[in-house]
Amino acid sequence: MRPPTARTVMILLLLGLGFIGVWLTTQVTAVPDIRSGEVQFASGGVRPADFARVTAPRAFSFPEDHGPHPAFRTEWWYFTGNLFAQGGSHFGYQLTLFRTGLAPHAGERASALATDQIYFAHFALSRPNGAYDSFERYSRGAAGLAGSSASPPEFWLENWSVRALDDVGDAFSLSASQGELTLDLLLTSLKPVVAQGEAGMSRKGPEAGNASYYVSQTRLATEGTVGEGGRMWQVEGTSWFDHEWGTTVLPPQVVGWDWFGLQLDDDRELMLYRIRRADGSFASVSAGTLVEPDGSTIHLTAEDFAIESTAEWRSPRSGATYPSGWRIRVPTAGLDLEVKPYQADQEVDAQIVYWEGAVRVMGRSRGAEVLGVGFVELTGYAEAMQGWF
Amino acid sequence: MSRTLLLFAWRDLVRRPWQSGLMLLGVVLGVAVMVSIDVANVSARRGFSLSTEAVVGRATHRIEGGPSGVPEAFYVQLRTLGWQDTAPIVEGIAIAPDLQDRPLRLLGIDLFSDAVIRPTFGLDAWTQAGAERFFLEPDAVIIPAGLAREGGLLPGDRFRLFLGNRVADLSILGVWTPPENDPSEALDDVVWMDIAAAQELTGTTGRLTRIDLIAARDDVPGIAALLPPGVSLVPASQQAETVRQLSDAFQLNLTALSLLALMVGMFLIYNSTMFHVVQRRQILATLGVLGAESGQIARLILGEAAAVATVGAVLGLPFGWALGQTAVRLVTQTINDFYFTLSVRQAPLEPATAAKAVAIALGAALLAAAGPALEAARIPPVAAFQRSDLEERASRGVGRAAGAGLASLAAGALLLAAAQRSLALSLGGMFGVLVGLALMVPLSSRILLLGLVRLLPRLRASRLRWGLRSVVRSLSRTSVALAALMVALAVTIGLGTMIASFRQAVDDWLDLTLRADVYVSSPLGSGSQPRGDISPEWESRLGSVPGVARVEPFRAAQVATEFGPARISAVDSYRIRDARLYRSSSGTAEEVWNELRQGSVLVSESFLQKHGLRFPMPPLTLTTDRGPRSFSVAAVFYDYSSEVGTVMMTQEVYHQFWSDRWLSSLGVFLAPQASFEDVARGVRNVLAGTGLHVTTLGDVRQRALAIFDRSFEVTSALRLLSVLVAGVGMMSALLALQLERAREVATLQVLGMTPRELGAQILLENGIMGVLAALLSVPTGLLLAWILTKVINLRSFGWAIPWSPGLEPIAIALGLSLLAAWAAGLYPWWRVSRAPIAERLRAD
Repeated sequence: MRPPTARTVMILLLLGLGFIGVWLTTQVTAVPDIRSGEVQFASGGVRPADFARVTAPRAFSFPEDHGPHPAFRTEWWYFTGNLFAQGGSHFGYQLTLFRTGLAPHAGERASALATDQIYFAHFALSRPNGAYDSFERYSRGAAGLAGSSASPPEFWLENWSVRALDDVGDAFSLSASQGELTLDLLLTSLKPVVAQGEAGMSRKGPEAGNASYYVSQTRLATEGTVGEGGRMWQVEGTSWFDHEWGTTVLPPQVVGWDWFGLQLDDDRELMLYRIRRADGSFASVSAGTLVEPDGSTIHLTAEDFAIESTAEWRSPRSGATYPSGWRIRVPTAGLDLEVKPYQADQEVDAQIVYWEGAVRVMGRSRGAEVLGVGFVELTGYAEAMQGWF
Repeated sequence: MSRTLLLFAWRDLVRRPWQSGLMLLGVVLGVAVMVSIDVANVSARRGFSLSTEAVVGRATHRIEGGPSGVPEAFYVQLRTLGWQDTAPIVEGIAIAPDLQDRPLRLLGIDLFSDAVIRPTFGLDAWTQAGAERFFLEPDAVIIPAGLAREGGLLPGDRFRLFLGNRVADLSILGVWTPPENDPSEALDDVVWMDIAAAQELTGTTGRLTRIDLIAARDDVPGIAALLPPGVSLVPASQQAETVRQLSDAFQLNLTALSLLALMVGMFLIYNSTMFHVVQRRQILATLGVLGAESGQIARLILGEAAAVATVGAVLGLPFGWALGQTAVRLVTQTINDFYFTLSVRQAPLEPATAAKAVAIALGAALLAAAGPALEAARIPPVAAFQRSDLEERASRGVGRAAGAGLASLAAGALLLAAAQRSLALSLGGMFGVLVGLALMVPLSSRILLLGLVRLLPRLRASRLRWGLRSVVRSLSRTSVALAALMVALAVTIGLGTMIASFRQAVDDWLDLTLRADVYVSSPLGSGSQPRGDISPEWESRLGSVPGVARVEPFRAAQVATEFGPARISAVDSYRIRDARLYRSSSGTAEEVWNELRQGSVLVSESFLQKHGLRFPMPPLTLTTDRGPRSFSVAAVFYDYSSEVGTVMMTQEVYHQFWSDRWLSSLGVFLAPQASFEDVARGVRNVLAGTGLHVTTLGDVRQRALAIFDRSFEVTSALRLLSVLVAGVGMMSALLALQLERAREVATLQVLGMTPRELGAQILLENGIMGVLAALLSVPTGLLLAWILTKVINLRSFGWAIPWSPGLEPIAIALGLSLLAAWAAGLYPWWRVSRAPIAERLRAD
């Protein structure tokens, strides 16, 4: 038995019936709220230099390259899509999983919860009634809480997940729910995997190593259900899947980028991005890819296209002003397109605030009328992306 | 009020520096005592609330398991099912050897999920440069700024922690600064670590201490349906409530103490003021003769009392605050010994405390002055010149007070009998008894003294008879001080006797329970809390030390019973425990132990009391890791180590139903003829570098008693303080009395008494007062001790303690009382022998 103790006991006793109640009530003091504090960290640690860099194009092989590349610091799997219920009402969805490597080579640990990978994910859904919600989750990449794998291709954070239905990743089941919203989709790729940029290497800056590997499935036939509260919609449409990894650092002066992924009804897809500097100008490394109906691609450089913004929208939450409509011309491809958001407010409310929204497209393609849908991403308008990527 | 009167009052105060000073001193001390306990009490309570708030955060529920916690897979299951507002915690108690062995709470957290429940760290904390090491490095910790300051620690420094049998060498990755203007001390005893590192460090990979969660009422059934066996979902408030209840008993005790301080303080203020006014009856009457209106005089008296009381109270506040700093340290120490790790860094003087003290001082002073003020306003000046008038009124008051005292005594006794298990009512009853006896002091002291006078032979001892009569005559003015001193002494005797009885009981019990020669435990095992885990492999390792006959493993853990939480003591089954340890049993010690080996359990006396059970009792249901199971109860045993109640079972039974394999301590028995020194050295060698403590039987016993004594330190300090305050009150009453008699004494001196004889007479009379107070306090004190041990103790903690009065507390009371009385005689004695007679004859 343990040493006893005596308590204090009894102690004291004495006195006081009537007093006790009154007295005790005077002892209660208000408890103030405790807000988050600040941590001052020791210097030293892992630097981006410790991770591998993207310096040259390479050959990809699937399903291996659907999986994680932990030698690189940053990686993301990006699913966006435009869905239509019966009667044509439109839903836009985004489910993105980000991986951040904390160190390129971590040692063995006894605990299954130990990790050197942090995952975070964004899930957003716009509905026909103009409603839009975005959510963010964080998790350690351990113990099955969050992770990614190549065989079979799977990417998940808790119950937000994308799992391949075959060994190679030509079809996926995508599922996410948050509060009253649920999304359950079946995605089937209609085209081969596209290597974006220069044979899969996408430059972020002029210096070597400041690039990422970037592959896409630009057209996935999509069907499934969207639920909100007790309601359920059968939907179908198209999705776009981007997978990008690297150890990039935004060059000085760069605050963000604009990205366009458009699916035209002539069965062509157009991807464009431009790196934006603080003074509003765009870097020359901006580029794009045109995907032909047969899956063949044409690399576009900054000189090949012109993007002009035609409208603006100011976010009441972040105060940021975003472009909210564009005219895009790619003369070599015979494209002249008007791009308009399905709804103005598709701002992702997360630790990094950015705009990621479903858009409709109309214009001319090689002289013919063309319609389309797509997604646009606008970063660095609310705050510079420096330090994040 | 006219300027003349104010001037008069001021001059009068200044002209009698002794009397004015004594009254002021009375108020200062009274206020200081009240304030000190209040400061300690409020600070401890606030510290508790803050740390609960900071740790519970926004959680509405928690998921907890038995001694080995919750499987981590269950957390993963919850998250992947979409229960997002959940945060896993791995918690350990550690000792920081480089910070004066300070106990710290090691909190293993998941930075992301924790941000949802607790606002300690923001969600973006991980994006800061350096933060990645929090996840990567198994020895990285974040410490709060308060702790960093205290230990002179900076980011990048290393520091050590003792955890069970492990010594952890940790690296300070970051220092956490609370947000601006935030009372952060609540978290000053916490060290944060990544949850994986904490699992590795505490040897609990795969397990969590608990999962905190935010769940709406509708969510509860869904989560409850998923719980694995041995794991339960409890409201967070209930958990905080359990801790709160534990500490509430302690807080109630402190409150009772501060009520004692309040009572003594009020007595003192009342006495000082009354004396001050009564002394000047004649002067005030003179004012009346000179034409002052009676209302004016009354206002003058009240105003003066209020002014002195206010000044005294304000002067008393800083003293009270200073005393409170010591009191809060003692209080915090006791809470840490018995309940949980609490750090109270600040003990500020709250405006409410100060206002309360000033108001009480003012109220007591006005109450004391009210009688004389009314009287001065009412009676004809000529009567005021006659002392006899005052004495007549006083003797009528004696009867009335005694009557009221009798009524209070009876009410108190009734309340005690009727209070059942209510602690507050029992305390109230005891208060009634005490107040009743105090009110009877004027009558009982008169009877006692006059009886003595009658008993004494007429011619011999004439000086003593003279002294006795003189004391009786002064009772009209000293009985309030006498009553205060009596109460203070009685409380001293009562508490002293109770503590001594208690200590004796614990000592005897230690004799029966501590049988091994050497004990091995974690350095955390200083209190009754089972803290620190020792790996089970040490049982065989210690067994192989030459000269060791047996090693007895012991495990203490918290489990849920059908009646609420209880402590489990899993003991070695080999040795049959002494029959004297059982309060009631189903058979002989051998039979009881055989039942235990077959799967029965024992429950402690406090468990029985706490839950209002009787032995024999039906089987007891415990929540085991295999689900709820019933255990038959073979006996009730004495146990002073846990007030929540203890359930004892064998190690074998414990391991059958619980997966926990850790040990809390090990008892090592020597082989016959083995040398104690050799074995102790052997054990120390085996344990070298582990941080485990090796203690001998004698040390363990001493440490247990040291903790016992420490937990009564506040009590002892306060009881001495109240005696001191009452002693000063008594002293000031006697001193004032003697000063007033200066003329009488001078007359005696003119009539031929030598200063030496007069001095002896002064000491004699004061000595009579001192002995009188002590005599009156002895029966009261013993009665109090009886109530404390037999009623209060049993009702609050479920421990039956024999009432064993000793001489020591009585001797201390007598000594203190005489000391106060004689100290009061020193100055008058000095005056008698030094100051010129003529001057004293002229005085007043």
